[in-house]
Amino acid sequence: MRAAARAGLLAATCVAVVVSLFPFYWMVRTSIAPADETFFQGIAWFPSAVDLSGYARAWTDGGLGRAMVVGLLQTLSILALQLLTCVPAAYVLAKVRSRATGIALTAVLGCLLVPSQVTLIPLFIGVNVVGWSDSLVGLVLPFTTSAFGIYLIRQQMMTIPDALLEAARADGLGHFRRLTSVVIPMAAPGIAAFSVFSVFAHWNEYLWPLLISRSPDMRTPPLALAVFQQADVGYDYPALAAGAVIITAPIVVLFLLAQKPFVQGMSGTEITG
Amino acid sequence: MTLPAAVAMTVFVALPALLSLIGSFFEIPLTGGAWRFVGFGNFTDVLSDPAVLQAIRNTAVYSAITIVPSLVIGLSLALLANAAGRGRPFVRTVLFLPMTANLVAMAVVFSWMFSYPGGFVNQVIGLVGAEPVNWLGDPATALPVVALVGIWRTASLTMVIFFAGLAAMPAALDEAARAEGIRGLRKLFLVTLPTIRPTVVFATVLAILSSAQVFDTINVMTQGGPRGSTETVLTMTWRIGFGYFDLGAASALAFLLLVVLVGIGILQRRTLSGWGR
Repeated sequence: MRAAARAGLLAATCVAVVVSLFPFYWMVRTSIAPADETFFQGIAWFPSAVDLSGYARAWTDGGLGRAMVVGLLQTLSILALQLLTCVPAAYVLAKVRSRATGIALTAVLGCLLVPSQVTLIPLFIGVNVVGWSDSLVGLVLPFTTSAFGIYLIRQQMMTIPDALLEAARADGLGHFRRLTSVVIPMAAPGIAAFSVFSVFAHWNEYLWPLLISRSPDMRTPPLALAVFQQADVGYDYPALAAGAVIITAPIVVLFLLAQKPFVQGMSGTEITG
Repeated sequence: MTLPAAVAMTVFVALPALLSLIGSFFEIPLTGGAWRFVGFGNFTDVLSDPAVLQAIRNTAVYSAITIVPSLVIGLSLALLANAAGRGRPFVRTVLFLPMTANLVAMAVVFSWMFSYPGGFVNQVIGLVGAEPVNWLGDPATALPVVALVGIWRTASLTMVIFFAGLAAMPAALDEAARAEGIRGLRKLFLVTLPTIRPTVVFATVLAILSSAQVFDTINVMTQGGPRGSTETVLTMTWRIGFGYFDLGAASALAFLLLVVLVGIGILQRRTLSGWGR
């Protein structure tokens, strides 16, 4: 590659890195800067002093502390339910060949295409009729299973050689034992990728909690932050930014830890799809 | 073993979708009384409402200015991250970050950056002597600014997908292209893109879905304002359904969006299946 082209690539990469990171930097900077430096006084790229008190105010006044607990319970419950329903279904769709599984696979792909706003209103009415609004059950239950999860995990399970399963069957293992001792360990990357995806999606979910959570005790992290922002509490920008950092940090940490399986799992999705 | 998933899928996806279709032909009292059949009344109601028509127009504009840039930038970023030398893991991680970001948190930060008159963007354009612009308060600029946040986010999402697609490309292809002296843009259009065509389709579908269903950023940054200039189909569905409690009309609007999306899906399949052979 010529030197000019190389320099151009480097410059483009630097611009992309800065644009990607700048909002994160701005969020952290605002959270630790004195309140009157939220908006520029001239060009104040760096805070003149470090003040961490905004984090305490976000945690208590903003209700973020309580919301983090609700968010954790909601996200992990959804993940547990989705793994319990998706993994066995994916196994059957990947490794049992019959007309019924062919139809079921088509049904799963069909459900994959239904956008969330179409199911939103009936689900809202249903949850209200049953009396689950403003409860953890109401936040979790509509996401019991995931068409995307079944599809993604099935794609991974397709790569397991049939001979291996035949051998396990010859050893006298039933469907359940074959699933737990052969299929799940071998499909682990796909299951891990889906788990990360599910946690991302439901930790960040805003629309459904906005409908379901009425009392302050049931707010999820994004909802608590949005309420905090709209509450107009004397424009406490550092506390609001601290709240943004608090709800962003767990996901970023999870992403840094799970980046590799996530990308590997993703690369299985579209090749055969 | 498929029973739990089948039951859940039926109860939480298939049945609600069906009910939504049926419900769009009824007037639904929120208190739980009897539904009243109104035929296509809900559809004619929403389609004759100027606010809804504006929301549809806004969604089209928002999609037009986010989808293509998100795809082009996402692909460029994936190629850049691939070309980065020793810094590759770092560059990749940083460019993936916007995809993981919580949109509510980011919407809060972006609304400060674009605030009037002392936000970051106004300070920067002030350096070259420009007057501050009321970005989110002016109907002419509010939608493009929200779309910019959409591009920031969606480009990162499509980049992850392109990156995974490029990683799965056979190395032999690269060598063959080099042996033939095919490089640069010619290589991109003649070799790379045709090879990762399924990835392109997948990324396009995701970009369309995320633009057509934009909600979080708008709800936090502008709440549909100023003067309805950032109201989109989904924020309008939400307003009609849960602000005005007209669940039938909201279902009708949600279904119209679904029909358009399915239509685009079919069109796209037709176009792309003849491309890159």
